Amino acid sequence: MRKLKSILLVVMAVLMALPVFAGGSKDTAKAAGTPDDPVTIDLWFGAAVTEAGMIPDDWVGYDIIREKLGIDLKLTMLPSNESDQDVRIQAAGAANELPDLFMVRRPVLTNLVKQGLVAQVDDCFEKMPVRTAQQYDASSIAHTTINGHVYGFASPGAIAKNEGLLVRKDWLDKLGLEIPTTLDEFIEVARAFTFDDPDGNGRDDTYGYGAFVETDATLKGYPGSRLWPIMGAFGVEGLWSFDSETAGLSIYKPEFYDFMVTLKAMCDEGLIDPNWLSYKKDDFRAAWKQGRFGMMYEQNAAYAATANYAPFDKNFPDGEWIVIDAITGPEGHAAIGAYDMNYRIYAVSQKAVDAGKLDKICELLEWMSSDEGYYLLGWGQEGVNYVLDENGIPVAGDLGDNAFTGSKGQVVTQLRNMVFYNGDVELASRYPTYVTEVSGKTMSALTTLREMQAKKWTSAVGSGTMPTPNADVQRYYDQSLAEFLTGAKELTPANWQAFLDQFNKIGGEAWNQAGIAKMTEDGLIR
Amino acid sequence: MAEIKRRHLKYELQNKKVKLTKADHVFNVVVNLFMVFILIVILIPVWSTITLSFRPNDYLGSNLEGMFLPPWQWSPDAYTALLGNDGFLDAFFNSFRILVGGVATALILTIPMAYVLSVHSLPGRKIINLIVIIPYVFNVGMIPTYLLVRDLGLMNHLSAVFLPGAISTYNCIIMRQFFVGIPNELKESARIDGCTELQVLFRIILPLSKAIVMTIGLYYGVSFWNDFFNAMLYLNDNQPLPILLRNILLASGMNEYVEVNAFGNAPVSAIKAASVFMSAIPMIVAYPFIQKYFTKGTLLGSVKG
Repeated sequence: MRKLKSILLVVMAVLMALPVFAGGSKDTAKAAGTPDDPVTIDLWFGAAVTEAGMIPDDWVGYDIIREKLGIDLKLTMLPSNESDQDVRIQAAGAANELPDLFMVRRPVLTNLVKQGLVAQVDDCFEKMPVRTAQQYDASSIAHTTINGHVYGFASPGAIAKNEGLLVRKDWLDKLGLEIPTTLDEFIEVARAFTFDDPDGNGRDDTYGYGAFVETDATLKGYPGSRLWPIMGAFGVEGLWSFDSETAGLSIYKPEFYDFMVTLKAMCDEGLIDPNWLSYKKDDFRAAWKQGRFGMMYEQNAAYAATANYAPFDKNFPDGEWIVIDAITGPEGHAAIGAYDMNYRIYAVSQKAVDAGKLDKICELLEWMSSDEGYYLLGWGQEGVNYVLDENGIPVAGDLGDNAFTGSKGQVVTQLRNMVFYNGDVELASRYPTYVTEVSGKTMSALTTLREMQAKKWTSAVGSGTMPTPNADVQRYYDQSLAEFLTGAKELTPANWQAFLDQFNKIGGEAWNQAGIAKMTEDGLIR
Repeated sequence: MAEIKRRHLKYELQNKKVKLTKADHVFNVVVNLFMVFILIVILIPVWSTITLSFRPNDYLGSNLEGMFLPPWQWSPDAYTALLGNDGFLDAFFNSFRILVGGVATALILTIPMAYVLSVHSLPGRKIINLIVIIPYVFNVGMIPTYLLVRDLGLMNHLSAVFLPGAISTYNCIIMRQFFVGIPNELKESARIDGCTELQVLFRIILPLSKAIVMTIGLYYGVSFWNDFFNAMLYLNDNQPLPILLRNILLASGMNEYVEVNAFGNAPVSAIKAASVFMSAIPMIVAYPFIQKYFTKGTLLGSVKG
């Protein structure tokens, strides 16, 4: 017992002493900004692949940035979940401990601006000519403009319009059908794919259309984006309509009811894979690779990238998907879906400006967009993490795990979202052309992307900034539509009106009005 | 009378002299079936996670079909990828450090606190008890705790994860009740023999309190092992397993960006399941060793008289 007591006392003493050795932040306000006396810049960034891990301490970029810019860069990886990011940023804000430069979502940025914790950066763009030309257009600057001042740098986020309507061309050819262009033709093709044994296996095991419920609170309202090509035929794609005549929630449009009637009829007739209401994303993707349906709405890389297409190629060497145009509805509407522009905002804390770091931050961002910074942050070191192909595109080559696509190479490119702007080099590198292993087809997710982007889309730019409903309203909205589709509630004009009345009563109308006010305030109505 | 009957029935049951009626048999069958049902309900998600973690990359069936995939078709790719990933091993080690440091700190602080509160002769005992209970009822909130951790210089230090919660009022009260239940005569006799209060605690109380110490240690261990929020808030690097696990679980869109994920060519869903399973292993391994104490500890206060 005496020995145990001694051990416990030593452990306690060590633990109590820990705070003494804990490192505090070093004040670098008076640093000269030279390699010998660098300015410390704390950067909280959104990692490209958070689960791959933090950039290692011996990353070559630290030395380059210190030598060339006189900056001692301190990196912190933000959590990958947006609400976790918000909590982290808000807690730091409340403690006046915001880092010098940090990624932040717009709603949180707005709050921080109100608290005076974020600096205006109106004058910074002219100090970063290369980066501004690459990343900050008028739309980007408008995204971070609050009360007439710019409070952050908004870089392009995920690629817009990167999904499309795909059809099994081999099934069309086998059944002697044409590519559908109208809603009626679309339903006819779906019917044929369901009942005319398009795969010729003699079994009734195929469906016309496949989907799953993919929704969010700002752009993809229930039943979700995977039904957008059908919704587009009625002009009700996207949660919000930004059209001057119909501004507000799309559910208020009379055409939404017509869409529901059509979708319900397709479900009842069995033209849509009946599992669509319960499928998760992975189930859906396994299903099309198993040949369960002949039409779907899918993302370019999830369909055409090497590893993603390989199982389909193995199962159906003669199978072929093609990207088709939006189908036209009874009133002439047609759209593949609705798109928003995504931005990643990096804001500068007022504390950093007070410490005289703003110029160094601009210098750092501008360097990131130089050739040296762009390739180092985007792909790593040439010969170590990437090699250039004959077209000057960075590729993984034979670099194994150290390649920028490998498990070790990915950690040194965690900052790539700070330099990528969906340029040609990035996309060509990300989506290389390849030949499929079994059928020998030449495939490219980039070609597919360009095809998808060329189709007819509806602009819903600004959706990401729209107000979101409370949980009860959201649940009522989703659940009621699901009940109509499954038949739990009969879909009649009277019941639809009753649903809208109740929706308005519990907060739907207030949500709609708040949305219209936001559109008006931000000049989003077109 | 009832006690006599109960003892008699127990004796007869032990000597198998009681013949079960048809109703007894039916009852037993129903109860057993119900228990089997409960067992299946518990086992399905566990089995689903295990089979999912061994799912091969070229598997195309549904999740339900995957649960019945024969073991010779399983693939260890997900585990190979996780164990070969430095980030996972670092996170595991960080979690282990938090676990050991946290449990040691929590017990070192909770045991004396609970003992002091159990001593009836402590001056101002009621007020001190009240002070202890107040933060249990009224949580101070995130921001004051954040400021305290910052001012203590603990930001980005692993101890920031466990020090703010090193004394749980709930655990302290349970332990105090256990100490109160130890006969006072034992403490008195130790004091008469010349023991100081610390000696009473270490030589008399603690040897009699293995069950509660192990139980509370397990409570602390589970909470520190699973703690995501404090780690997310206070740590910039050296992040523990819950942070990595959450990042992996949220990485559903990995295959939409590049053609490989952070863990090589194993399926994303298998990686997720494998990481869930592996993060639970320390608790699964530890529990059987602590179970006998845990059962005793959790029964504390359930029997009066």
